[in-house]
Amino acid sequence: MKINYLFPNEFKRIGWLILIPSAFIGLVTLIYEYEPSFLDFNVPAILVDEITFSDSKKFFRMVNNNILNEIFGILIIISSLIVAFSKEKTEDEYMSKIRLESLVWAVYFNYGILLFSFLFIFDLSFLWVMIFNMFTVLLFFIIRFNWQISKLKKLANYEE
Amino acid sequence: MKNSIKVERAKKNITQAELAKLAKVSRQTINAMELGKYVPSTVLALRLAQIFEVEISEIFTLEDSDWV
Repeated sequence: MKINYLFPNEFKRIGWLILIPSAFIGLVTLIYEYEPSFLDFNVPAILVDEITFSDSKKFFRMVNNNILNEIFGILIIISSLIVAFSKEKTEDEYMSKIRLESLVWAVYFNYGILLFSFLFIFDLSFLWVMIFNMFTVLLFFIIRFNWQISKLKKLANYEE
Repeated sequence: MKNSIKVERAKKNITQAELAKLAKVSRQTINAMELGKYVPSTVLALRLAQIFEVEISEIFTLEDSDWV
């Protein structure tokens, strides 16, 4: 069975090598609101929502923005996509089944947490929920899929 | 669904790893099938039948629970 929507197996290691440091550093810079001035740039924006003066919304403007969080956001998203969707060493039909199950489970779990947060977290605190929710579907998928695969490997080793 | 992969494998005197290689799947998948945790696709079932040189129905048999 040919699967053409997954990355080659070798990509998985590269994905982890990018994901772990950028997730760690990204989280630290987010918490400490570290914004080095050399990363302040004028960047094009589709929608600019200025809270300070009026409620006016402006489209297609240049805005001054610190791009550190963009850099880490992009690194984390791309690397977790690679980690999540790289082939296993032997990617067969059973792996595909586990992959699908894990994906459904991750989406349920992710939206379960989001629903809970909708009900019990408000205002600016909810912004944190939204920030984390950008990454958690993939994170839950990666955890669940790798957990199932390692369980399977343990079982197979026990057999022989 | 019941299967006799383990029996057929013993007859041929090959390990799970060797069968996995022949069938072009992972050893975990062979193991999961032998334990009845995974029902293979038609293609994989046919491949196994060809490897063991038997009819597909000699390896796989339906159970009552398959009709529920």
